Amino acid sequence: MPGAIAFQFPDLFFGGLWVTIQISALGLAGALVIGTAVALLRISPAAPLRWLGAAYVEFFRNTPLVVQLFFLFLGLPLVGLRFSSDTFESIFRAAATGMALYHGAYVAEVVRGGLLGVDKGQIEAARSLGLSYAQMLRYVQLPQTFRAVVPPVGNIAIALVKNTSLASTIGVTELLFGAEIVESRTFRAEESFATATLLYLLLTIPLGLAVNYLERRLLVAR
Amino acid sequence: MRPDTWGMFVDPAILRFFGQGLLETLSIAAASTLLSFPAGLLFALGRLSRRAWIRWPSIAYIEAIRALPVLLLIVYFGIKGSTLFRPLFGSDFDLPRFWAGVLGLSLYTSAVLAEIIRAGIVSLPRGQAEAARALGLSYAQSLRHVILPQALRLMVPAMMGQLTTVIKDTSLVGTIGVFELLRQGRTIYTQFFNPIEVLLFVSLVYFVVCFALSQGSRRLEVGRVPRIAQVKVQELQLRDQAA
Repeated sequence: MPGAIAFQFPDLFFGGLWVTIQISALGLAGALVIGTAVALLRISPAAPLRWLGAAYVEFFRNTPLVVQLFFLFLGLPLVGLRFSSDTFESIFRAAATGMALYHGAYVAEVVRGGLLGVDKGQIEAARSLGLSYAQMLRYVQLPQTFRAVVPPVGNIAIALVKNTSLASTIGVTELLFGAEIVESRTFRAEESFATATLLYLLLTIPLGLAVNYLERRLLVAR
Repeated sequence: MRPDTWGMFVDPAILRFFGQGLLETLSIAAASTLLSFPAGLLFALGRLSRRAWIRWPSIAYIEAIRALPVLLLIVYFGIKGSTLFRPLFGSDFDLPRFWAGVLGLSLYTSAVLAEIIRAGIVSLPRGQAEAARALGLSYAQSLRHVILPQALRLMVPAMMGQLTTVIKDTSLVGTIGVFELLRQGRTIYTQFFNPIEVLLFVSLVYFVVCFALSQGSRRLEVGRVPRIAQVKVQELQLRDQAA
């Protein structure tokens, strides 16, 4: 029966699933912060800041995530930057950081679209009411943006959950790596990978349904 | 970082080594695209079919594959690819690593292309299909001469965008032992102990290829893409830009 093997190696399958969830959650939180910051750079009135934002987005979107992960995992310690003195903690943090940096570029594009989608009149009205640029962002432009970007950010979150599997390439024992270890111990490839597949579907399919639901609801509300 | 480690990037032997990797990367991307386009077209038509026994398996395939990490598919074919094809090609058949990687990538890309093509088809005005049928064209003829030429043309930029994802994803095939660009780079930095320089160089190569492609797809003039198709394509680009 597919999935039964998960109960023989619970620490690798369910433990791996838990690591996948942790990296996803940390990565998504980081990506939202980075994405919002970069989006604000991209619409800032100062041209050099706009270029900086554009350079960030284009670099991270046009290079593979694995290369970025390898860089964080191997490159940074060579220039003296360590995520942690503990090796396992260190690769875990490198993976979460990589997820945040890479998906932050995609979030930035979506948030930028949302910021530009806010009606110009609202911004002018806020400024003429005496709100500073920061206050205008805080009370007028960002709240409307966040509402509009929920469905696309949901899609990025799905991509992020799937991409946590790349953390296995730098040695994080998440779900895919757990399945690979079980396969190498038991040679039961079909069962191991079918179980990992089921567990991934358990995460991504409900997320996908939630995104579709939100998409429809927010579309009607506007 | 040591100052002497940058000199190697003008050494012709080293550059040839990277060149082989880039060639392998582009071959994997090309083979995956060529394989997944016809498959994607079939699944797109399958999902639009009126017959439930064609429609439901197509939906299941597309949605299940899109919900999985590409790396899982690649690693699976890397391990079990040979055994899967032994009933077909004889008991001593050995699936080359290259094709195991291409298979994993194509499986995924075909599901995404199917959704892109379907978005193009459903965004066409209904009148197109109705007029074609009213003129006496069969379903196949109306697809061949009316629907697909328009739908595929509209979706060329989106499909080119997906190609940049395929190129980025080829870097995953190195994990099952194909010597593509990143894997060649790994060989070099384990030899010379300079991962920072090599990884920066490798990302620059990926960047040039992918940036050129994505800019090209953005500049392409194919006429007005209907809003419903734009929304779908944006969703696909966000969800399926795997690695």
